[in-house]
Amino acid sequence: METVLSSEVMQDFDAVMSQHRPRIFRFILASLRDRESAENLTQECFIRAYRARDQFRGAASIPTWLLQIAANLVRDHESSGRLKFWRRALGIDLRDVMDTVPDRQLSPESMLSVKQDVEAIWRVAAKLSERQRTVLLLRFVEDLDLLEIAEVTGLKLGTVKTHLFRALEAVRVALEERK
Amino acid sequence: MNHLSPDQISQYLIGDLTPEQEAHADSCPQCSARLAHLESSLSHFRSSVRNLEETNHMTRMYSGNETMAGLSSLLIHSGVIALLLLLGTLKPVQHMIQEHIMLYAPSIAPEKKVIAQGGGGGGARSPLEASKGKLPQISHKQFVPPRVDPVDAHLPMVPTIIADSAPPNINSPVYGDPLSHMGTPSNGTGFGGGIGSGSGGGVGSGHGVGTGPGSGGGFGGGVYRIGGGVSMPMILKKVEPEYSEEARKAKWQGTVQLSVVIDEMGHARDIKVAKSLGLGLDQKALEAVEKWLFKPGMKDGKPVAVFATIEVTFHLL
Repeated sequence: METVLSSEVMQDFDAVMSQHRPRIFRFILASLRDRESAENLTQECFIRAYRARDQFRGAASIPTWLLQIAANLVRDHESSGRLKFWRRALGIDLRDVMDTVPDRQLSPESMLSVKQDVEAIWRVAAKLSERQRTVLLLRFVEDLDLLEIAEVTGLKLGTVKTHLFRALEAVRVALEERK
Repeated sequence: MNHLSPDQISQYLIGDLTPEQEAHADSCPQCSARLAHLESSLSHFRSSVRNLEETNHMTRMYSGNETMAGLSSLLIHSGVIALLLLLGTLKPVQHMIQEHIMLYAPSIAPEKKVIAQGGGGGGARSPLEASKGKLPQISHKQFVPPRVDPVDAHLPMVPTIIADSAPPNINSPVYGDPLSHMGTPSNGTGFGGGIGSGSGGGVGSGHGVGTGPGSGGGFGGGVYRIGGGVSMPMILKKVEPEYSEEARKAKWQGTVQLSVVIDEMGHARDIKVAKSLGLGLDQKALEAVEKWLFKPGMKDGKPVAVFATIEVTFHLL
């Protein structure tokens, strides 16, 4: 029943796309930090999903399936080495990132502190390996649980944990150093 | 129990701690604070990523000096415009542009009707109209005009008419005007020998030694203009012209004016382009009109060749 339902859902591809596009775009954008590439890859992601929509059997949820395609695209993009945005000097649009931190009710001092924390995490994320960054983004931005991350990335649960641990350690160290 | 080690802080977030360690993390204010800081920082990071997508970056892609950017843009634009104006003032450029304007001199000289030339007629001042019969042989020189009643002679000459090409003829044992009615053999109401209502030694209503309503030698008749007893030709069969590929691509529309002669058989000949449209449409109009069939213009109840202007309009839907 679930399978049939999922297949039917996939038939209405427009709806699927409009529903999940923001999330996929956000994930790719956060991974690449390049809006143009992110838009291209998001497009590519939905093209691939559309071509393979008949193969979707509802084994995973639709967002997991789409994130899986997106993660593959990000990995290909990174390994192709065409645009090494993460290797470049940071601060290209950190100003944007800073402006996007919410919590307007905070005092100016704590606001600054929060901004610096977030900036530190962005910098750490920039230095992480692609796997570690993907796992970090999937866990703490996309709120996937470890099993879902394993499914999306195609990694074993233990490997996911290792990557996530290393990423978190880097974040923690960076935050503590800032103090 | 000891406080959580730095590693264990990260492991807590992954969910890899033992129940005892987790219990300690929840109860110990110091460990809770460290965890809370990491967690809230990550949550702010999450918000920043989520808001990143909603922020319109397009307006803030450029982070340099906007005044400088505006000034240099102004400078480049005015530079380009100045360059264009300067180019226009240069003599060689003006000369080159002038050379590319094509002028057509309209052809106002009267056209020579080479094909339409000819005609002939004759008769013997008979009260009866010329009778129907075949045309005499075509020749370049006429010695004897045709007669419906052959003259008994010791050295009979074959009667001829002068024409360049063979006019339409009929099969008949006697000479006569092929366009006339059957009836009592008669040389017709004309004069000067020959058969018909004209003059001279030919056959038909014209003058001269040819046949038909014209004058001089040859076949046919002069080309008439519509009006003054000459009726207008009517279209019987019309073939729509095709669009040429170039014109279709260029979305080219307009009217081609053709000046034609509609002959007695109802065909358009001597087609000339009077007003050109170009892009191959002239040729297409010409090809189409060649296939058209007309009811020829009539004069005195007989079909005659007339000049006509045909407008072929091309327009895309």
